[in-house]
Amino acid sequence: MKITKLLAAFVALMLILAACSSDDDAAATTEAAADDNGGDDGGTTGGKLAAVIAADKIVCGVNDGLPGFGVVDDAGVYNGFDVDFCRVVAAGVLGDADKVEYKPLTADVRFTALQSGDIDVLIRNTTWTATRDGQEGATFLFTVFFDGQGMMVPASTGFTTLEDLADANICVLSGTTTELNLAAVFGARGIPFNSVVFEDNAQLNPAYQEGQCEGWTSDASQLAAFKSAIEGEGGEEQFIMAEIISKEPLGPVVSDGDTEWAQAVEWSVMATVQAWEFGLDSGNIGSYSGDNPNILNFIGTDNFNPGLGLPTDFAVQVVTQVGNYKEIFDRHIPAIGLQLEGSPNNIWTEGGLMYVPPYR
Amino acid sequence: MTTETREPQGREAARPPFYRDVRVIRVVGQLVAVIVVFGIAYWLVNNLISNMNRLGISTSFDFLLGPTNTAIPYHESFDIRSPVWQMTLVGIKNTFLAAIFGVILASIVGLMVGVSRLSENWLVARLATFYVEFFRNIPPLVLIIFFGFAVFTFGPFPIFSESWELKVPGSDNSFLIINNDRWGVPGFTATGSLVLFWAILAAGVVLAAYMWRRRTKHFEQTGQPHHRVLWFTGVVLVSLVVAYIASGQPLDMSWPVISENRRRVDGGFIANWGWISVTFALGLYTASHLGEIIRGSILAVHQGQSEAANAVALSAFQRYRFVVLPQAMRIALPPTINQYLNLVKNTSLGTAVGYAEITALTKTSVGNGRPAFQSFIIVMAVYLTFSLSISLILNVVNRRLQLESR
Repeated sequence: MKITKLLAAFVALMLILAACSSDDDAAATTEAAADDNGGDDGGTTGGKLAAVIAADKIVCGVNDGLPGFGVVDDAGVYNGFDVDFCRVVAAGVLGDADKVEYKPLTADVRFTALQSGDIDVLIRNTTWTATRDGQEGATFLFTVFFDGQGMMVPASTGFTTLEDLADANICVLSGTTTELNLAAVFGARGIPFNSVVFEDNAQLNPAYQEGQCEGWTSDASQLAAFKSAIEGEGGEEQFIMAEIISKEPLGPVVSDGDTEWAQAVEWSVMATVQAWEFGLDSGNIGSYSGDNPNILNFIGTDNFNPGLGLPTDFAVQVVTQVGNYKEIFDRHIPAIGLQLEGSPNNIWTEGGLMYVPPYR
Repeated sequence: MTTETREPQGREAARPPFYRDVRVIRVVGQLVAVIVVFGIAYWLVNNLISNMNRLGISTSFDFLLGPTNTAIPYHESFDIRSPVWQMTLVGIKNTFLAAIFGVILASIVGLMVGVSRLSENWLVARLATFYVEFFRNIPPLVLIIFFGFAVFTFGPFPIFSESWELKVPGSDNSFLIINNDRWGVPGFTATGSLVLFWAILAAGVVLAAYMWRRRTKHFEQTGQPHHRVLWFTGVVLVSLVVAYIASGQPLDMSWPVISENRRRVDGGFIANWGWISVTFALGLYTASHLGEIIRGSILAVHQGQSEAANAVALSAFQRYRFVVLPQAMRIALPPTINQYLNLVKNTSLGTAVGYAEITALTKTSVGNGRPAFQSFIIVMAVYLTFSLSISLILNVVNRRLQLESR
């Protein structure tokens, strides 16, 4: 008798539970379906580009602690090479370089922010790799900075090649592509070494300066920035080896699946290089009076419209408000000790890699 | 007749309906609890796996067989092409090394601090109080970073090429090598198989433990001195010698020596700055907590015990050694287990000073594209194993130590 009652109670309970859960499921499914429809509708009516124009601002993921590329000053103003390219995109798409909302991101959350739609574009010294392209749902656009991993040693050591560092302690940030490169290159050449890993440069820098490691390996641009910082503070003179041991192409990144938005960002960015090639800069682009048809197309005379979804005068807005590539470079990069001449970041007509498709 | 048939019915009717019957509610309540817990767990795991499948993220552990591809700090001989599971083993070893030495250090310092806190000597008591208040109130992560930077980076020790060496007279070997990166002391290197050696030594330890119990029993029965420490150490030492000779002398003394380019320390036992920082910071931090536990436990031993010890003219040392501490330990053990467990878990903070323990290595490995979920499942399993082992051992000890109430 008791058992039967117990069983009955149990079955009743299960039935109630089952009923509840199936209700929930049904509700959830309808909701999800509704969401899907909403998403699809948004997709067909212009996607990110339309959304950005409607919001009248661009949310840009940046670095806030890398001298030369992205720093935020005491007044909260963002500044740097990468930051200027956020402004380039805003000027190109919205006609106003100031319509940018900056989101400072750490290295490990940058792709999540992009995937979740928290940011419209990521310009944060991010290396283009196959894995990131394939697994992070990211689309890498025009490379605005050709970087590479280098090695810095105190100048007093007189070391000039990696072989000089046999058995030495080498400081490196943990979990970076730099760490992989270090092991791969030293391993391939049979140079024994010991890595001393740190989680951020604020810890690594003093350890290096106090001689806990003899070499510091990182992207050459970062090493240059720290070299000038160390020497500027009266520290020991530093030497960056000529040898570059990896390719680190850095550029803007958008999320997969929205070609229109990707094109708008890419052409805005490439306009800075095109202007440089044409000899146009922020001072003279507004007053161009020649009759080169390519330039006239570029600055939007005759309302030439290639159908990128950008205003016809976007190039003029980009260059007058932010500058051409060389102006942007000169504003930030020589200050951290890297020169344009002789680097891959020079224009193709002068032996560099800055080469953009024709605008016609 | 009628009354007989009615009576059971009456009893039946007197019982409350099943939904108010305590016996039913009790069973059903527990059943529901079990179903809810398992249901939620199933739902979470199922959700996770289906989401991972949807995103095309692998749920397998095959990555453990792939190459590591990164160097492990302070393991220069580690081949970067070794599979990931070997890297995991190195991490486990390093976590263990930090934990075990941290526990030893914490126990010794903690006992000293705890006893000193109760000292009648004003200076000693105040110093111990200061120690406790200082270390107890600083987060362990801050202590580790402070240790790493104050002692090594900005500390008094020379850079590698200018290491201090305490040389063995007439040779390049040293008793001690110290610089701001690693310290070397004499150690042993294996020259042959150690299996037989460890087997004989283990047998020796078992025999020694047996002798300990025999001597204890002997003492309890006859009241004659047991000398059990002497016996135990003697048996272990003899078995050590026997093991060493019988297994063909598989160990060599190895002295630390600085390489010609003054960038390596070869031979000996080498401690790197990350390990020293983690061990000392966590050891001293945990000691402050242990000190308080021990002080409290000593105070919890009834005053009459001390008075009785005084009455039979025991010295202060004897009073502590034979009367107070054995009883205090009984009280101190359960909270001490907690502190040991905390110490083990806190070793994961070693990543702040670049110590290659399991969490740090896993973070690096995940940063280099290994699946985060599976990698951290392994890390969780490792900590769980460490913690449960400590719990198990100490719980057995605890049960043995408790007063048997009759």
